[in-house]
Amino acid sequence: MIKNIRRASQAIFLFLFLFLFRQTESKGYDDLGYPVRLFLDFDPLVFITTVLASHTVPLAFYLSVILIVFTIFLGRVFCGWVCPLGTLNNMMGTLRKARPIGDRRRLYRWKYYILLFILAASLFRLHLTGILDPLSLLIRSLSASIYPLFNYAVRSFFDTIFHWNPPIIVQGSEFLYDLLKRSVLAFEQPLFVQSAFIGLLFLAVLGLNLIERRFWCKFLCPLGALLGILSRYALLRRSLGEGCDACGACETICQGGAIHDGDRWESGECLYCMNCDDLCPRNAVSFGFSTRGTPAALNLGRRNVLIAFASGIVSVPLIRTTAHSKPGYVNPRLIRPPGALEEREFLRACIKCGECMKVCITNGLQPTLLEAGLEGIWSPILIPRIGYCEYRCTLCGQVCPTGAIARLKLEAKQQVKVGLAMIDEGRCLPYAHATPCIVCQEACPTSPKAIWLEETNVRNREGRVIRVKRPRVDLELCIGCGICETLCPVMGQPAIYVTNVGESRSKTNQLLLPGAAK
Amino acid sequence: MNRRGFLKNTAVVGAGLTLPGACGLVFRVLEASERVDLAVAQGAAPSQITRAAIDVLGGMKRFVTKGDVVVVKPNIGWDRTPEYAATTNPEVVGTIVKMCYEAGAKKVRVFDRTVSDSRRCYKQSGIADAAGAAGAEVSHIDDRKYRDVKMNGLALKSWPLYADVLEADKVINVPIAKDHGLSKLTLAMKNWMGVMGGWRSRIHQNIDESLVDIARAVKPTLTVLDAVRILTANGPTGGSLSDVKRLNLVAVGTDQVAIDSFGATLFGFKGSDLGYVRLGAKAGLGVMDLAKLKIKKIQV
Repeated sequence: MIKNIRRASQAIFLFLFLFLFRQTESKGYDDLGYPVRLFLDFDPLVFITTVLASHTVPLAFYLSVILIVFTIFLGRVFCGWVCPLGTLNNMMGTLRKARPIGDRRRLYRWKYYILLFILAASLFRLHLTGILDPLSLLIRSLSASIYPLFNYAVRSFFDTIFHWNPPIIVQGSEFLYDLLKRSVLAFEQPLFVQSAFIGLLFLAVLGLNLIERRFWCKFLCPLGALLGILSRYALLRRSLGEGCDACGACETICQGGAIHDGDRWESGECLYCMNCDDLCPRNAVSFGFSTRGTPAALNLGRRNVLIAFASGIVSVPLIRTTAHSKPGYVNPRLIRPPGALEEREFLRACIKCGECMKVCITNGLQPTLLEAGLEGIWSPILIPRIGYCEYRCTLCGQVCPTGAIARLKLEAKQQVKVGLAMIDEGRCLPYAHATPCIVCQEACPTSPKAIWLEETNVRNREGRVIRVKRPRVDLELCIGCGICETLCPVMGQPAIYVTNVGESRSKTNQLLLPGAAK
Repeated sequence: MNRRGFLKNTAVVGAGLTLPGACGLVFRVLEASERVDLAVAQGAAPSQITRAAIDVLGGMKRFVTKGDVVVVKPNIGWDRTPEYAATTNPEVVGTIVKMCYEAGAKKVRVFDRTVSDSRRCYKQSGIADAAGAAGAEVSHIDDRKYRDVKMNGLALKSWPLYADVLEADKVINVPIAKDHGLSKLTLAMKNWMGVMGGWRSRIHQNIDESLVDIARAVKPTLTVLDAVRILTANGPTGGSLSDVKRLNLVAVGTDQVAIDSFGATLFGFKGSDLGYVRLGAKAGLGVMDLAKLKIKKIQV
């Protein structure tokens, strides 16, 4: 009975999560209007490590305090009843036959070591949480891989019917397609670099359920570990009645693997799925509030704890010993979204959840691989050939859960330079090929336009004089939005392109004499 | 009353009853003989001047017949709000949609292939809401719907154009008058870039010839040039209210070249200053010389 209530709760939260995910998309208005970061706002692991690493307090931190207090009293109810990744693991796990946890119990410790590693690193301001935080991982995987895959599959299916064009059927399929477009499909097919890589990692997490049910939740999840520690003295406890004959039935169906050796129960591992309460053949299991008995201490092994913690510390110089740390070295194509903090601060705050990429109106925000060093893996980079930064859009700042991308008012955002555009005169049509073209100037969104036209005479091969307008970039006005690069008709390598020199967030990555009047 | 008397009375009354209709017919004939080529209406309310100008030409019934599928093609190209004059006035669009339905249209479709993000353009321009409220089917461009059209024109051999435009019974062009870096101004003929598929920005390499080719392929029934606000500089995107001039004017006609030639005068140019107007006239697409046109100006 309670099991079914739990299932309903899982379904509701998974649906809420997917609904909010779906709402993380522009409808053409200035404001998104939905609290799409909600799940991340509730995440205490993100909260604690962000405070440690970035020395700033996330906007909606109080929500994660709610979850901390909730867990201290009620245990890991979040894992069993709420967590959307937990629910997906739960569903995948049904493909594997249930069995008692047995000796695999020792693997529990991994997640605590991972947690210690992450905490140690963030103590030294290296923010690795988002890589393994379940909510961040889920949002990133859905955004950059699974949702695009879903869209691709559905669109290909209906496009095939559309082009095949069988009478009557095509009307039906187009009607259905339209319905799906209005409800679950993205406005445009989202496409990301590394889609397959990020997707395979996610599928691997789900696939682990075939080795052990809820493998991720039991053995790897750092958020689960944190909640496990918090719930050690939880008041909601399992108790056994007189009838228990240690038959071990509950050990087999326990989702967290919290029950072992017949009647032993680990509060920090229990997901409160209520399977044991429901299925006990003697009806001897019950959950209730009590303070009786001190739960067994978490035995992680002092040596292992030290190793995990030390590894976290060592990982800081290991990851940072890269040319990216050299003063003055900048990857010129590492264009960050508008409002992004100065690079070092940005990396300390970004949890690579991918919400900004999901919401980016042009699909231009993409996950990095090594462009920002290993530390910056999967952080957002604007690739103007894929999509530019829409002049009147502020959505990425609205969805960022940690403030790595500041939430800016429209007027402020329009002043932010993410880089500067420059012209490749060897490729530009009016410069190199005596051919008219003003596409970059036409689309330049600033007022006055940062790209202006210089009218001049050029000679073609026959010696005929042709009057062309050559684009020039006003570095004071250019904000690096990249629409010129996106639309440049010179395919492949564009004739106008943006690099991050001049970006507002950097003091050093500049080129003009400060304050110099034109 | 005898039989003769009855017949006489019946004839008189009958004639009297049919008189208003007959008068209307006479007026219509007179109007037609007046042959207005271009109706220009000025006034504070965009919806009223739109209606008045179209009525001068004989009303929407002259252009739209019962059961027609009509495409109304505004300029929704940029992510700007109406006061910046980068997109067609939403009230003008809404009024035209409403008039099409009043004239018996079965369906009115409104769309544009935007340059900035389509969702933002549709919403921020106010056009999606205004046209939607008037009953139009407002849709975003569906990339599958382009059809290659043979042109063998001045510049273009062929180009993919939007099927909805090609398949419509009637097409009404509703551009806004704006400054443009290459073609000087963007008016009616240039508004057809919004129905072009493919890498359309390449036509800037031969803009005037290409615009004539496209305008010839589309053949609009009616053109309503929105000059309620015009963008005098930094076009076609705008972005500053100081570049916007309020003229409170619309110009309506069936001749795209004539409309553009007239539009040029709003900016202090002559029609012949615009390459595509000159070429369009030469190609027989329309009349450039405003002196040869019957232009009726009204204040509303």
